[in-house]
Amino acid sequence: MIDDPLEARDQILARLRRALSGARSVFRDRSGPSTPPATPTAVTRADGDRRSLAKAFGTKLAEVSGSYEFLEDAAEASERLVQLARAWSADDDGDTEADDAPAIEVLSWAPLALPIENLGPRLKESGISLFVPEDLHDESTRARAARATVGLTGAEAAFAGTGSIVVASGRGKSRAASLLPLRHIVLVPMSRIHPTLEAWLSNLRREQALGSFLRVSGQIVFITGPSKSADIELDLTLGVHGPRLVHALIFDDTW
Amino acid sequence: MPVDAAAPYRTRVRQALADDGLRAALDRATEHLSGRRAKAMAEIDARRLRDEAGAVRRYAIEHLPDLLEQLESNLIANGCQVHWARDASEALGVVLEIARAHHIGDVVKSKSMTTEEIGLNDALERSGIDVVETDLGEFIVQLAGEPPSHIIAPVIHKRVEDIAEIFRRRLDTPHTTDPAELCAAARRELRNEFLNADLGVSGCNFAIAETGTICVVTNEGNGRMVTSLPRVYIAIAGIEKVVRSAEDAVLLWQAASRNATGQAVSVYFSLTSGPRRRGDSDGPEEMHVILLDNGRSRILERGYGDAALCIRCGACINICPVYREIGGHAYGRTPYSGPIGAVLTPLLDYDIHAARDLPFASSLCGACRDVCPVKIDLPRLLLDLRSVVVERKVSTLGERATLRAYATAMRQPAPYRVLVRLAGWLGPLTGLLPPLRTWRRSRSLPRFARKRFGALWHERARGDDESTAG
Repeated sequence: MIDDPLEARDQILARLRRALSGARSVFRDRSGPSTPPATPTAVTRADGDRRSLAKAFGTKLAEVSGSYEFLEDAAEASERLVQLARAWSADDDGDTEADDAPAIEVLSWAPLALPIENLGPRLKESGISLFVPEDLHDESTRARAARATVGLTGAEAAFAGTGSIVVASGRGKSRAASLLPLRHIVLVPMSRIHPTLEAWLSNLRREQALGSFLRVSGQIVFITGPSKSADIELDLTLGVHGPRLVHALIFDDTW
Repeated sequence: MPVDAAAPYRTRVRQALADDGLRAALDRATEHLSGRRAKAMAEIDARRLRDEAGAVRRYAIEHLPDLLEQLESNLIANGCQVHWARDASEALGVVLEIARAHHIGDVVKSKSMTTEEIGLNDALERSGIDVVETDLGEFIVQLAGEPPSHIIAPVIHKRVEDIAEIFRRRLDTPHTTDPAELCAAARRELRNEFLNADLGVSGCNFAIAETGTICVVTNEGNGRMVTSLPRVYIAIAGIEKVVRSAEDAVLLWQAASRNATGQAVSVYFSLTSGPRRRGDSDGPEEMHVILLDNGRSRILERGYGDAALCIRCGACINICPVYREIGGHAYGRTPYSGPIGAVLTPLLDYDIHAARDLPFASSLCGACRDVCPVKIDLPRLLLDLRSVVVERKVSTLGERATLRAYATAMRQPAPYRVLVRLAGWLGPLTGLLPPLRTWRRSRSLPRFARKRFGALWHERARGDDESTAG
């Protein structure tokens, strides 16, 4: 128990300051103070036009057990989404007649937060409803979200160098949609695919938007493929806690 | 017989060496991880990554107090509550107080060596709070009632048959040795825990000073569950985890991923900058960050700041020929094993006696230094700690007496000559003397020459005199 919370803080900081200002270096290796570059060198490499970056993103995602498809445009992407949701819900129900199956529910970001216009109504016509949870601390909402087998999100950005996407929590953008269901579909417009993590960070830094990007959201998450573990005898298993399947629908939005 | 982490060092090592199953598991796993690491580093400009990662960590330690203050004020601005803890008991006090204030009954945890270091689970359970480890490996060792034996792969010491038996006994699952089925059973079990827990606890891989952000690296997604589902979230961060910027954190994340498991990046990298925002559908209502010293400032005071650069990737552990033989539990009651563990444990521990053998658990081959992503000169630190053990007289009385006698004999001709003559006569019998007996068990002593070097020298000198005279 801490009697005076400030005492611990001040004592720790004072000890550190004393150690660091002493005549003796705090390091055995006395190679002098280090001045790392503010912008580190990109670890991975990727370049080319939009299409080749998109291809590299998909290839990298597939290398880490994810999957992807290229669609010509947003309309094709939403059509493909319908097909996938129907096929998977048939799998889950053991039902072969997709036509008379009950309405399919997808745990989703709010349509306005998704990179395809009018997606909500279009899916509804096809018998697929988007469940956008309002408050996941509510018991029944949480139970309903936990039953979903497909999650649908957009992405703030995607990276060709690593096959990663980044999602930010926010209004209408639940963390649960990319986390709870066994399958995660992510809509990736080509305009959001960047060569590397570093290139994207330095863009944000240049536009003085990096700080607010990180702080406005409660949480941002880089996601690189499906959930995995090799804890049991190094045997790679997918879908340990998060999705077993991460499927990117990459579409051209640059017409 | 499993290794008893509470037994003396020699006993632990003996137990580990006697366990063929353990050594087979260790061989396979460490070879595999080291191989993956080598491949991942060969794909990139590894030298540059090490230079930059090392510089970034060093900068952070050189500016530690300023960065910590910046981190604190940004965390508070982001809506977090920040606590400082000088030692384990203060940190536990903070956690228990938060738990009491919120009437917490169930805690879910993601893998964190810092929480192992302070004994969080025991403290919570003593207060009647259920705590569940949610990293698959940690979950298995928790079910088995054991500590983790590797910072990255906690259950590296167990075979799938052992794990199957633990699941059958503790979870009542049908017997299976299929890792996918075992994994699915754990997913079902732990999903309920995630949905019902009131408090999530994680460690912290990096803390970004500039934005007040706690970064957690996981592959399974349990880190995301723990930081998103419960109403209250506590991150426990060693004070050395702070870094300058998001760019630095992303660089270190990549360095850690490649060196830990050979991945370009881990599956998830969660950057949490506070509780859920107004209008968010999920995320904790309250977020606490505990900044823990627990011996870290003393590491700097003693001039071992290099050890504070560590990003806990485990590369030095996997490559270490000693760890490969004895495994993590032989390092005792510490979550940190291998070369970095042999350095951190005696430094973090107030009582160097308890860990005085660890700096000697190394052949000083230097492989650890060669793989370290932030270029810590581990053999150097181990050597320096050995000298501390000797200077502080924590070495044994017999050892000191022997070395003193040796020093006297080597400095004076008469005792030296007597000693050498004695050794010549007794040479074949040295195997019977207590300190040499152990040594002789695995090594053979070269046969002593019939004539001493000194005697030969005199003979030669005489011979030369005669030849010049003739």
